[in-house]
Amino acid sequence: MLRRCLDLLWLVLFWTAGLFILFVLAGIMGYLVLRGGPVLSWEFLTTAPRGLPLGAEGGVFPAIKGTFYLVLIAVFSAVLPGIITAVYLVEYAAPSRFRDIINLTVQCMAGIPSIVTGLFAYALFVVRMGFGISLLAGGLALGIMIFPVIVVTSRDALLAVNEQYRLVGASLGVSRWYMLVRVIFPQGLPAVISGVLLAAGYAAGATAPVMVTAAVISAGSSGSLFEPVMALPYHLYILFSQQISIERAYGTALLLVLLLLILNAVTLWLRSLKGKGA
Amino acid sequence: MLELQTQRQLVNLLVKLICLTVSACTTLLLLAIAAFMVAESLPVWSALGPLKIIAGTDWSPLAAPPRLGIGTMILSTLWVALGAVLLSAPLGFAGAIFLAEFAPPWLAGIIRPVLNILTGIPSVVYGFVGAAVLIKFFEVSFNMASGESLFCASLILTVMVLPYIVTNSESALRSVPREYRQAALALGVSKQYLTLRVLLPLAKKGLTGALVLAFGRAAGETMAVLMLAGNTMLLPTSWFSKGEPLSALIALELGTSVVGSAHYQALFAAGLVLLILVICINLFLTLLKRG
Repeated sequence: MLRRCLDLLWLVLFWTAGLFILFVLAGIMGYLVLRGGPVLSWEFLTTAPRGLPLGAEGGVFPAIKGTFYLVLIAVFSAVLPGIITAVYLVEYAAPSRFRDIINLTVQCMAGIPSIVTGLFAYALFVVRMGFGISLLAGGLALGIMIFPVIVVTSRDALLAVNEQYRLVGASLGVSRWYMLVRVIFPQGLPAVISGVLLAAGYAAGATAPVMVTAAVISAGSSGSLFEPVMALPYHLYILFSQQISIERAYGTALLLVLLLLILNAVTLWLRSLKGKGA
Repeated sequence: MLELQTQRQLVNLLVKLICLTVSACTTLLLLAIAAFMVAESLPVWSALGPLKIIAGTDWSPLAAPPRLGIGTMILSTLWVALGAVLLSAPLGFAGAIFLAEFAPPWLAGIIRPVLNILTGIPSVVYGFVGAAVLIKFFEVSFNMASGESLFCASLILTVMVLPYIVTNSESALRSVPREYRQAALALGVSKQYLTLRVLLPLAKKGLTGALVLAFGRAAGETMAVLMLAGNTMLLPTSWFSKGEPLSALIALELGTSVVGSAHYQALFAAGLVLLILVICINLFLTLLKRG
Protein backbone atom coordinates (compact mmCIF):
# COMPACT_ATOMS: atom_id res chain seq x y z
CA MET A 1 0.00 0.00 0.00
CA LEU A 2 2.74 2.39 0.96
CA ARG A 3 4.60 1.36 -2.16
CA ARG A 4 1.57 2.24 -4.26
CA CYS A 5 1.14 5.65 -2.66
CA LEU A 6 4.78 6.37 -3.22
CA ASP A 7 4.54 5.32 -6.85
CA LEU A 8 1.56 7.57 -7.34
CA LEU A 9 3.43 10.44 -5.76
CA TRP A 10 6.37 9.98 -8.11
CA LEU A 11 4.04 9.80 -11.09
CA VAL A 12 2.43 13.08 -10.11
CA LEU A 13 5.87 14.62 -9.71
CA PHE A 14 7.01 13.53 -13.16
CA TRP A 15 3.83 14.81 -14.79
CA THR A 16 4.19 18.14 -12.99
CA ALA A 17 7.73 18.56 -14.26
CA GLY A 18 6.68 17.75 -17.81
CA LEU A 19 3.75 20.11 -17.76
CA PHE A 20 5.84 22.81 -16.11
CA ILE A 21 7.95 23.02 -19.28
CA LEU A 22 4.82 23.73 -21.32
CA PHE A 23 3.66 26.19 -18.72
CA VAL A 24 6.93 28.15 -18.89
CA LEU A 25 6.71 28.69 -22.62
CA ALA A 26 2.99 29.40 -22.51
CA GLY A 27 3.55 31.83 -19.64
CA ILE A 28 6.30 33.77 -21.37
CA MET A 29 4.50 33.84 -24.71
CA GLY A 30 1.16 34.72 -23.20
CA TYR A 31 2.58 37.51 -21.12
CA LEU A 32 4.55 38.97 -24.04
CA VAL A 33 1.53 38.84 -26.35
CA LEU A 34 -0.64 40.42 -23.69
CA ARG A 35 1.73 43.30 -23.00
CA GLY A 36 3.51 43.63 -26.33
CA GLY A 37 0.66 42.81 -28.70
CA PRO A 38 -1.02 46.21 -28.56
CA VAL A 39 2.31 47.90 -29.38
CA LEU A 40 2.98 45.90 -32.52
CA SER A 41 1.64 47.75 -35.49
CA TRP A 42 2.66 48.59 -39.01
CA GLU A 43 3.89 51.92 -37.77
CA PHE A 44 6.00 50.27 -35.04
CA LEU A 45 7.70 48.08 -37.64
CA THR A 46 8.35 50.73 -40.25
CA THR A 47 9.29 53.95 -38.47
CA ALA A 48 12.36 55.12 -36.62
CA PRO A 49 12.38 55.76 -32.86
CA ARG A 50 11.17 59.22 -31.92
CA GLY A 51 10.35 61.17 -28.81
CA LEU A 52 12.28 62.18 -25.75
CA PRO A 53 14.18 60.23 -24.52
CA LEU A 54 14.70 58.77 -27.94
CA GLY A 55 12.66 55.60 -28.35
CA ALA A 56 9.76 56.64 -26.14
CA GLU A 57 7.68 56.90 -29.30
CA GLY A 58 7.94 55.68 -32.83
CA GLY A 59 9.12 52.31 -34.00
CA VAL A 60 12.09 50.04 -34.36
CA PHE A 61 12.71 50.04 -38.11
CA PRO A 62 16.46 50.87 -37.97
CA ALA A 63 16.93 48.13 -35.36
CA ILE A 64 15.22 45.59 -37.61
CA LYS A 65 17.43 46.67 -40.50
CA GLY A 66 20.55 46.54 -38.33
CA THR A 67 19.79 43.08 -37.02
CA PHE A 68 19.08 41.89 -40.55
CA TYR A 69 22.46 43.14 -41.80
CA LEU A 70 24.29 41.71 -38.80
CA VAL A 71 22.75 38.28 -39.30
CA LEU A 72 23.45 38.43 -43.03
CA ILE A 73 27.15 39.10 -42.45
CA ALA A 74 27.34 36.46 -39.73
CA VAL A 75 25.74 33.78 -41.89
CA PHE A 76 27.82 34.68 -44.94
CA SER A 77 31.06 34.53 -42.99
CA ALA A 78 30.28 31.31 -41.10
CA VAL A 79 28.32 29.14 -43.49
CA LEU A 80 31.02 28.09 -45.92
CA PRO A 81 33.78 27.24 -43.42
CA GLY A 82 31.18 25.61 -41.18
CA ILE A 83 29.84 23.28 -43.85
CA ILE A 84 33.31 22.48 -45.18
CA THR A 85 34.47 21.52 -41.69
CA ALA A 86 31.39 19.33 -41.28
CA VAL A 87 32.06 17.64 -44.63
CA TYR A 88 35.63 16.99 -43.59
CA LEU A 89 34.55 15.50 -40.27
CA VAL A 90 31.98 13.20 -41.86
CA GLU A 91 33.42 12.28 -45.23
CA TYR A 92 37.17 12.66 -45.25
CA ALA A 93 38.68 12.32 -41.82
CA ALA A 94 39.38 8.74 -40.95
CA PRO A 95 38.89 8.09 -37.24
CA SER A 96 42.04 9.75 -36.09
CA ARG A 97 43.49 11.89 -33.41
CA PHE A 98 43.19 14.93 -35.67
CA ARG A 99 39.45 14.43 -36.10
CA ASP A 100 39.04 14.04 -32.36
CA ILE A 101 40.88 17.31 -31.85
CA ILE A 102 38.64 19.15 -34.30
CA ASN A 103 35.52 17.68 -32.73
CA LEU A 104 36.73 18.77 -29.31
CA THR A 105 37.62 22.22 -30.65
CA VAL A 106 34.15 22.67 -32.09
CA GLN A 107 32.59 21.55 -28.82
CA CYS A 108 34.75 24.00 -26.87
CA MET A 109 33.90 26.82 -29.27
CA ALA A 110 30.20 26.09 -28.89
CA GLY A 111 30.67 26.52 -25.15
CA ILE A 112 32.54 29.82 -25.27
CA PRO A 113 30.42 32.48 -23.56
CA SER A 114 29.18 34.95 -26.13
CA ILE A 115 30.65 37.84 -24.17
CA VAL A 116 34.13 36.30 -24.53
CA THR A 117 33.58 36.08 -28.28
CA GLY A 118 32.58 39.73 -28.12
CA LEU A 119 35.71 40.58 -26.17
CA PHE A 120 37.85 38.81 -28.77
CA ALA A 121 36.10 40.57 -31.64
CA TYR A 122 36.52 43.90 -29.85
CA ALA A 123 40.25 43.41 -29.44
CA LEU A 124 40.77 42.07 -32.97
CA PHE A 125 38.30 43.83 -35.23
CA VAL A 126 37.43 47.03 -33.38
CA VAL A 127 40.85 47.89 -31.97
CA ARG A 128 43.64 46.05 -33.82
CA MET A 129 42.14 46.15 -37.30
CA GLY A 130 40.65 49.56 -36.74
CA PHE A 131 37.08 48.85 -37.85
CA GLY A 132 35.74 50.75 -34.84
CA ILE A 133 32.30 50.03 -33.43
CA SER A 134 30.81 48.90 -36.70
CA LEU A 135 28.42 46.63 -38.54
CA LEU A 136 31.31 44.59 -39.93
CA ALA A 137 32.90 43.96 -36.51
CA GLY A 138 29.55 42.89 -35.03
CA GLY A 139 28.67 40.68 -37.97
CA LEU A 140 32.02 38.89 -37.80
CA ALA A 141 31.68 38.47 -34.02
CA LEU A 142 28.31 36.82 -34.56
CA GLY A 143 29.86 34.74 -37.34
CA ILE A 144 32.44 33.35 -34.93
CA MET A 145 29.66 32.68 -32.45
CA ILE A 146 27.42 30.70 -34.83
CA PHE A 147 30.25 28.88 -36.61
CA PRO A 148 30.31 25.89 -34.20
CA VAL A 149 26.51 25.67 -34.32
CA ILE A 150 26.62 25.35 -38.10
CA VAL A 151 29.38 22.73 -37.92
CA VAL A 152 27.47 20.60 -35.42
CA THR A 153 24.10 20.74 -37.18
CA SER A 154 25.60 20.13 -40.64
CA ARG A 155 27.74 17.30 -39.30
CA ASP A 156 24.71 15.61 -37.76
CA ALA A 157 22.70 16.21 -40.94
CA LEU A 158 25.34 14.54 -43.11
CA LEU A 159 25.81 11.71 -40.64
CA ALA A 160 22.09 11.04 -40.73
CA VAL A 161 22.20 10.27 -44.46
CA ASN A 162 21.60 6.57 -44.91
CA GLU A 163 24.85 4.57 -44.74
CA GLN A 164 23.59 2.35 -47.59
CA TYR A 165 24.09 5.14 -50.12
CA ARG A 166 27.74 5.37 -49.19
CA LEU A 167 28.22 1.62 -49.45
CA VAL A 168 26.48 1.38 -52.81
CA GLY A 169 28.45 4.34 -54.10
CA ALA A 170 31.74 2.85 -52.98
CA SER A 171 30.89 -0.53 -54.51
CA LEU A 172 30.13 1.15 -57.84
CA GLY A 173 33.53 2.77 -57.75
CA VAL A 174 32.11 6.30 -57.69
CA SER A 175 34.52 8.88 -56.37
CA ARG A 176 34.00 10.43 -52.95
CA TRP A 177 33.57 13.89 -54.39
CA TYR A 178 30.90 12.74 -56.85
CA MET A 179 29.05 10.88 -54.10
CA LEU A 180 29.14 13.93 -51.90
CA VAL A 181 27.89 16.37 -54.51
CA ARG A 182 25.28 14.19 -56.20
CA VAL A 183 23.97 11.96 -53.44
CA ILE A 184 24.85 12.83 -49.89
CA PHE A 185 24.56 16.60 -50.05
CA PRO A 186 21.13 16.68 -51.73
CA GLN A 187 19.89 14.19 -49.14
CA GLY A 188 21.21 16.15 -46.20
CA LEU A 189 20.44 19.60 -47.60
CA PRO A 190 17.10 20.29 -45.87
CA ALA A 191 18.63 19.50 -42.49
CA VAL A 192 21.72 21.59 -43.25
CA ILE A 193 19.56 24.55 -44.25
CA SER A 194 17.40 24.24 -41.17
CA GLY A 195 20.57 24.23 -39.07
CA VAL A 196 21.74 27.41 -40.74
CA LEU A 197 18.35 29.03 -40.10
CA LEU A 198 18.51 28.12 -36.41
CA ALA A 199 22.00 29.59 -36.28
CA ALA A 200 20.65 32.76 -37.90
CA GLY A 201 17.98 32.96 -35.20
CA TYR A 202 20.64 32.50 -32.54
CA ALA A 203 22.65 35.36 -34.07
CA ALA A 204 19.59 37.61 -34.29
CA GLY A 205 18.93 37.26 -30.57
CA ALA A 206 22.50 37.53 -29.33
CA THR A 207 23.05 40.73 -27.42
CA ALA A 208 26.36 40.55 -25.60
CA PRO A 209 28.74 40.35 -28.61
CA VAL A 210 26.79 43.00 -30.51
CA MET A 211 26.68 45.28 -27.51
CA VAL A 212 30.46 45.59 -27.35
CA THR A 213 31.25 45.56 -31.08
CA ALA A 214 28.47 47.05 -33.17
CA ALA A 215 25.37 48.42 -31.51
CA VAL A 216 24.59 51.96 -30.50
CA ILE A 217 21.49 53.56 -29.07
CA SER A 218 20.58 55.40 -32.23
CA ALA A 219 21.80 55.02 -35.79
CA GLY A 220 20.34 55.01 -39.26
CA SER A 221 21.56 51.45 -39.94
CA SER A 222 22.20 52.36 -43.55
CA GLY A 223 24.07 49.13 -44.17
CA SER A 224 27.46 50.77 -44.51
CA LEU A 225 29.99 48.27 -43.17
CA PHE A 226 32.06 50.64 -41.09
CA GLU A 227 29.27 52.45 -39.29
CA PRO A 228 27.62 51.39 -36.05
CA VAL A 229 24.07 50.05 -36.25
CA MET A 230 21.03 49.57 -34.09
CA ALA A 231 20.10 46.01 -33.22
CA LEU A 232 16.80 44.65 -31.92
CA PRO A 233 18.10 42.84 -28.81
CA TYR A 234 20.30 45.75 -27.81
CA HIS A 235 17.43 48.15 -28.41
CA LEU A 236 15.30 46.05 -26.06
CA TYR A 237 18.04 46.18 -23.42
CA ILE A 238 18.37 49.95 -23.73
CA LEU A 239 14.61 50.59 -23.70
CA PHE A 240 14.35 48.67 -20.45
CA SER A 241 17.56 49.52 -18.63
CA GLN A 242 17.38 53.25 -19.36
CA GLN A 243 13.68 53.11 -18.53
CA ILE A 244 12.77 54.76 -21.81
CA SER A 245 9.56 52.93 -22.54
CA ILE A 246 8.45 49.66 -21.03
CA GLU A 247 5.61 49.29 -23.58
CA ARG A 248 7.98 49.54 -26.53
CA ALA A 249 10.30 47.11 -24.75
CA TYR A 250 7.48 44.55 -24.57
CA GLY A 251 6.76 45.13 -28.24
CA THR A 252 10.40 44.63 -29.17
CA ALA A 253 10.65 41.46 -27.07
CA LEU A 254 7.52 40.05 -28.68
CA LEU A 255 8.93 40.85 -32.11
CA LEU A 256 12.14 38.96 -31.30
CA VAL A 257 10.26 35.92 -30.05
CA LEU A 258 7.90 35.92 -33.05
CA LEU A 259 10.90 36.01 -35.35
CA LEU A 260 12.25 32.98 -33.56
CA LEU A 261 8.94 31.12 -33.76
CA ILE A 262 8.76 31.71 -37.51
CA LEU A 263 12.30 30.38 -37.95
CA ASN A 264 11.42 27.33 -35.87
CA ALA A 265 8.31 26.68 -37.92
CA VAL A 266 10.29 26.88 -41.18
CA THR A 267 12.86 24.52 -39.69
CA LEU A 268 10.22 21.94 -38.75
CA TRP A 269 8.78 22.18 -42.25
CA LEU A 270 12.22 21.68 -43.82
CA ARG A 271 12.87 18.65 -41.63
CA SER A 272 9.62 17.11 -42.83
CA LEU A 273 10.92 17.42 -46.40
CA LYS A 274 13.91 15.28 -45.57
CA GLY A 275 14.58 12.49 -48.01
CA LYS A 276 12.14 13.67 -50.65
CA GLY A 277 14.70 15.96 -52.24
CA ALA A 278 16.94 13.40 -53.89
CA MET B 1 40.63 7.21 -70.04
CA LEU B 2 43.76 7.25 -67.98
CA GLU B 3 43.83 11.00 -68.19
CA LEU B 4 40.27 11.24 -66.88
CA GLN B 5 41.20 8.96 -64.02
CA THR B 6 44.09 11.11 -62.90
CA GLN B 7 42.04 14.24 -63.32
CA ARG B 8 39.39 12.83 -61.06
CA GLN B 9 41.91 11.80 -58.50
CA LEU B 10 43.31 15.29 -58.60
CA VAL B 11 39.88 16.80 -57.88
CA ASN B 12 39.37 14.42 -55.01
CA LEU B 13 42.73 15.23 -53.55
CA LEU B 14 42.13 18.95 -53.92
CA VAL B 15 38.76 18.78 -52.19
CA LYS B 16 40.23 16.78 -49.36
CA LEU B 17 43.02 19.29 -48.99
CA ILE B 18 40.63 22.24 -48.88
CA CYS B 19 38.49 20.52 -46.27
CA LEU B 20 41.56 19.72 -44.22
CA THR B 21 42.85 23.28 -44.33
CA VAL B 22 39.54 24.83 -43.35
CA SER B 23 39.10 22.38 -40.47
CA ALA B 24 42.60 23.10 -39.25
CA CYS B 25 41.72 26.79 -39.24
CA THR B 26 38.92 26.01 -36.78
CA THR B 27 41.46 24.90 -34.24
CA LEU B 28 43.53 27.97 -35.01
CA LEU B 29 40.52 30.20 -34.36
CA LEU B 30 40.01 28.73 -30.89
CA LEU B 31 43.71 29.11 -30.19
CA ALA B 32 43.54 32.69 -31.45
CA ILE B 33 40.71 33.52 -29.06
CA ALA B 34 42.67 32.07 -26.15
CA ALA B 35 45.87 33.77 -27.32
CA PHE B 36 44.14 37.15 -27.50
CA MET B 37 42.77 36.82 -23.98
CA VAL B 38 46.25 35.95 -22.71
CA ALA B 39 48.13 38.55 -24.75
CA GLU B 40 45.83 41.46 -23.91
CA SER B 41 45.78 40.68 -20.21
CA LEU B 42 49.41 39.63 -19.75
CA PRO B 43 50.67 43.01 -18.45
CA VAL B 44 48.26 43.07 -15.49
CA TRP B 45 48.92 39.44 -14.59
CA SER B 46 52.63 40.12 -14.36
CA ALA B 47 52.28 43.55 -12.76
CA LEU B 48 49.88 42.60 -9.98
CA GLY B 49 50.35 38.85 -9.73
CA PRO B 50 47.61 36.29 -10.40
CA LEU B 51 46.73 35.91 -6.72
CA LYS B 52 46.01 39.59 -6.24
CA ILE B 53 43.70 39.61 -9.26
CA ILE B 54 41.82 36.37 -8.70
CA ALA B 55 41.49 36.59 -4.95
CA GLY B 56 41.35 40.37 -4.74
CA THR B 57 38.01 41.89 -3.82
CA ASP B 58 38.72 45.52 -4.53
CA TRP B 59 37.83 46.75 -8.00
CA SER B 60 38.79 50.40 -8.58
CA PRO B 61 40.33 50.38 -12.03
CA LEU B 62 40.65 54.14 -12.27
CA ALA B 63 42.43 54.67 -8.95
CA ALA B 64 46.18 55.23 -8.95
CA PRO B 65 47.57 52.63 -8.72
CA PRO B 66 44.54 50.71 -10.06
CA ARG B 67 43.15 47.95 -7.86
CA LEU B 68 41.90 45.15 -10.04
CA GLY B 69 40.64 42.29 -7.90
CA ILE B 70 37.99 40.26 -9.69
CA GLY B 71 37.42 37.82 -6.81
CA THR B 72 34.02 39.37 -6.10
CA MET B 73 32.89 38.80 -9.67
CA ILE B 74 34.26 35.26 -9.80
CA LEU B 75 32.35 34.47 -6.62
CA SER B 76 29.17 36.02 -8.07
CA THR B 77 29.52 33.99 -11.25
CA LEU B 78 29.98 30.73 -9.35
CA TRP B 79 27.17 31.52 -6.96
CA VAL B 80 24.67 32.40 -9.66
CA ALA B 81 25.56 29.41 -11.84
CA LEU B 82 25.64 26.86 -9.01
CA GLY B 83 22.33 28.20 -7.74
CA ALA B 84 20.78 27.79 -11.17
CA VAL B 85 22.02 24.21 -11.50
CA LEU B 86 20.81 23.41 -8.00
CA LEU B 87 17.32 24.67 -8.78
CA SER B 88 17.01 23.20 -12.24
CA ALA B 89 18.50 19.76 -11.50
CA PRO B 90 15.46 18.20 -9.76
CA LEU B 91 13.06 19.80 -12.20
CA GLY B 92 15.15 18.86 -15.21
CA PHE B 93 15.65 15.26 -14.14
CA ALA B 94 11.96 14.83 -13.39
CA GLY B 95 11.13 16.33 -16.78
CA ALA B 96 13.59 14.02 -18.51
CA ILE B 97 12.16 10.96 -16.75
CA PHE B 98 8.69 12.07 -17.77
CA LEU B 99 9.70 12.42 -21.40
CA ALA B 100 11.70 9.19 -21.52
CA GLU B 101 9.35 6.90 -19.61
CA PHE B 102 5.93 8.25 -18.77
CA ALA B 103 4.78 10.84 -21.30
CA PRO B 104 2.20 9.69 -23.83
CA PRO B 105 3.76 10.03 -27.32
CA TRP B 106 1.52 12.89 -28.40
CA LEU B 107 2.48 14.95 -25.35
CA ALA B 108 6.19 14.18 -25.78
CA GLY B 109 5.73 15.29 -29.39
CA ILE B 110 4.61 18.68 -28.11
CA ILE B 111 7.15 19.07 -25.31
CA ARG B 112 10.23 18.38 -27.48
CA PRO B 113 9.66 21.26 -29.93
CA VAL B 114 8.75 23.45 -26.95
CA LEU B 115 12.15 22.70 -25.42
CA ASN B 116 13.74 23.66 -28.73
CA ILE B 117 11.92 26.96 -28.75
CA LEU B 118 12.87 27.63 -25.13
CA THR B 119 16.59 27.20 -25.93
CA GLY B 120 16.14 29.57 -28.85
CA ILE B 121 14.54 32.46 -26.98
CA PRO B 122 17.20 35.19 -26.77
CA SER B 123 18.72 35.67 -23.35
CA VAL B 124 17.90 39.35 -23.40
CA VAL B 125 14.20 38.44 -23.60
CA TYR B 126 14.55 36.13 -20.59
CA GLY B 127 16.41 38.86 -18.77
CA PHE B 128 13.79 41.43 -19.67
CA VAL B 129 10.82 39.29 -18.64
CA GLY B 130 12.65 38.33 -15.44
CA ALA B 131 13.49 41.91 -14.63
CA ALA B 132 10.02 43.18 -15.45
CA VAL B 133 8.10 40.46 -13.61
CA LEU B 134 10.27 38.74 -10.98
CA ILE B 135 11.90 41.86 -9.64
CA LYS B 136 8.60 43.68 -9.42
CA PHE B 137 7.26 40.69 -7.56
CA PHE B 138 10.12 40.71 -5.05
CA GLU B 139 9.89 44.46 -4.57
CA VAL B 140 6.17 44.40 -3.93
CA SER B 141 5.81 41.25 -1.88
CA PHE B 142 8.90 41.63 0.31
CA ASN B 143 8.86 45.40 0.41
CA MET B 144 12.40 45.67 -0.89
CA ALA B 145 13.82 48.90 -2.23
CA SER B 146 15.18 47.12 -5.25
CA GLY B 147 14.49 43.50 -6.05
CA GLU B 148 17.63 42.49 -7.91
CA SER B 149 19.69 39.71 -6.37
CA LEU B 150 21.84 36.76 -7.25
CA PHE B 151 18.81 34.62 -6.42
CA CYS B 152 16.70 36.33 -9.09
CA ALA B 153 19.45 35.79 -11.63
CA SER B 154 19.63 32.13 -10.62
CA LEU B 155 15.87 31.76 -11.02
CA ILE B 156 15.90 33.04 -14.60
CA LEU B 157 19.01 31.01 -15.42
CA THR B 158 17.13 27.97 -14.09
CA VAL B 159 14.53 28.42 -16.79
CA MET B 160 17.24 29.04 -19.38
CA VAL B 161 19.30 25.91 -18.65
CA LEU B 162 16.30 23.65 -17.99
CA PRO B 163 15.94 22.61 -21.67
CA TYR B 164 19.61 21.60 -21.79
CA ILE B 165 19.28 19.43 -18.70
CA VAL B 166 16.04 17.82 -19.88
CA THR B 167 17.28 17.02 -23.40
CA ASN B 168 20.65 15.65 -22.32
CA SER B 169 19.28 13.67 -19.38
CA GLU B 170 16.59 12.19 -21.58
CA SER B 171 19.12 10.89 -24.07
CA ALA B 172 21.20 9.53 -21.16
CA LEU B 173 18.15 7.63 -19.85
CA ARG B 174 17.32 6.33 -23.31
CA SER B 175 20.83 5.02 -23.84
CA VAL B 176 20.49 2.53 -20.97
CA PRO B 177 20.46 -0.93 -22.62
CA ARG B 178 17.06 -2.56 -23.08
CA GLU B 179 18.00 -5.70 -21.14
CA TYR B 180 17.96 -3.87 -17.83
CA ARG B 181 14.41 -2.68 -18.37
CA GLN B 182 13.20 -6.11 -19.39
CA ALA B 183 14.95 -7.81 -16.49
CA ALA B 184 13.50 -5.35 -14.00
CA LEU B 185 9.99 -5.51 -15.40
CA ALA B 186 10.16 -9.31 -15.45
CA LEU B 187 10.77 -9.16 -11.72
CA GLY B 188 7.47 -7.36 -11.39
CA VAL B 189 8.64 -3.98 -10.09
CA SER B 190 6.69 -0.87 -10.95
CA LYS B 191 7.84 1.49 -13.66
CA GLN B 192 8.63 4.14 -11.06
CA TYR B 193 10.85 1.72 -9.16
CA LEU B 194 12.54 0.72 -12.38
CA THR B 195 13.27 4.32 -13.26
CA LEU B 196 14.48 5.45 -9.88
CA ARG B 197 16.46 2.41 -8.78
CA VAL B 198 17.70 0.98 -12.08
CA LEU B 199 17.76 3.56 -14.85
CA LEU B 200 18.92 6.58 -12.84
CA PRO B 201 22.01 4.89 -11.35
CA LEU B 202 22.92 3.42 -14.73
CA ALA B 203 22.60 6.78 -16.46
CA LYS B 204 24.60 8.54 -13.76
CA LYS B 205 27.39 9.59 -16.09
CA GLY B 206 25.09 11.14 -18.66
CA LEU B 207 23.13 12.94 -15.97
CA THR B 208 26.30 14.39 -14.46
CA GLY B 209 27.31 15.52 -17.93
CA ALA B 210 23.99 17.31 -18.35
CA LEU B 211 24.49 19.19 -15.07
CA VAL B 212 28.05 20.19 -15.91
CA LEU B 213 27.00 21.43 -19.32
CA ALA B 214 24.21 23.44 -17.74
CA PHE B 215 26.69 24.93 -15.28
CA GLY B 216 28.89 26.07 -18.16
CA ARG B 217 25.94 27.67 -19.92
CA ALA B 218 24.84 29.45 -16.76
CA ALA B 219 28.34 30.71 -15.94
CA GLY B 220 28.81 32.22 -19.40
CA GLU B 221 25.40 33.82 -19.68
CA THR B 222 25.53 37.60 -19.91
CA MET B 223 22.31 39.51 -20.53
CA ALA B 224 20.08 37.78 -18.00
CA VAL B 225 22.54 38.22 -15.14
CA LEU B 226 23.36 41.74 -16.25
CA MET B 227 19.71 42.71 -15.91
CA LEU B 228 18.94 40.74 -12.75
CA ALA B 229 21.95 40.40 -10.48
CA GLY B 230 22.02 43.99 -9.29
CA ASN B 231 25.55 44.95 -10.37
CA THR B 232 27.25 46.04 -7.17
CA MET B 233 30.88 45.58 -6.35
CA LEU B 234 30.25 44.27 -2.84
CA LEU B 235 31.30 40.77 -1.95
CA PRO B 236 28.15 38.63 -2.02
CA THR B 237 27.48 37.17 1.41
CA SER B 238 24.31 35.25 0.65
CA TRP B 239 22.20 34.07 -2.23
CA PHE B 240 20.00 37.11 -1.76
CA SER B 241 22.69 39.74 -1.93
CA LYS B 242 23.53 41.56 -5.11
CA GLY B 243 26.57 40.86 -7.16
CA GLU B 244 28.13 41.41 -10.52
CA PRO B 245 29.20 38.27 -12.39
CA LEU B 246 32.25 38.33 -14.67
CA SER B 247 30.23 38.44 -17.87
CA ALA B 248 28.22 41.44 -16.68
CA LEU B 249 31.42 43.23 -15.65
CA ILE B 250 32.89 42.81 -19.13
CA ALA B 251 29.71 43.84 -20.92
CA LEU B 252 29.26 46.94 -18.76
CA GLU B 253 32.81 48.27 -18.69
CA LEU B 254 34.45 47.30 -21.97
CA GLY B 255 32.99 50.24 -23.86
CA THR B 256 34.26 52.82 -21.37
CA SER B 257 37.71 51.39 -20.70
CA VAL B 258 40.64 53.08 -22.42
CA VAL B 259 42.30 50.73 -24.88
CA GLY B 260 45.59 49.48 -23.49
CA SER B 261 44.97 50.74 -19.94
CA ALA B 262 45.19 48.47 -16.90
CA HIS B 263 41.38 48.60 -16.76
CA TYR B 264 41.13 47.25 -20.32
CA GLN B 265 43.69 44.56 -19.60
CA ALA B 266 41.89 43.50 -16.43
CA LEU B 267 38.67 42.98 -18.40
CA PHE B 268 40.57 40.58 -20.64
CA ALA B 269 41.85 38.87 -17.52
CA ALA B 270 38.20 38.39 -16.53
CA GLY B 271 37.48 37.02 -20.01
CA LEU B 272 40.41 34.63 -19.70
CA VAL B 273 39.10 33.30 -16.39
CA LEU B 274 35.68 32.65 -17.97
CA LEU B 275 37.27 31.01 -21.01
CA ILE B 276 39.45 28.72 -18.89
CA LEU B 277 36.41 27.73 -16.83
CA VAL B 278 34.47 26.78 -19.96
CA ILE B 279 37.34 24.89 -21.58
CA CYS B 280 37.89 22.91 -18.37
CA ILE B 281 34.20 22.01 -18.38
CA ASN B 282 34.39 20.78 -21.97
CA LEU B 283 37.53 18.74 -21.36
CA PHE B 284 35.82 17.21 -18.34
CA LEU B 285 32.77 16.33 -20.45
CA THR B 286 34.95 14.68 -23.09
CA LEU B 287 36.75 12.64 -20.46
CA LEU B 288 33.41 11.68 -18.93
CA LYS B 289 32.17 10.37 -22.27
CA ARG B 290 35.32 8.37 -22.83
CA GLY B 291 36.31 6.92 -19.47
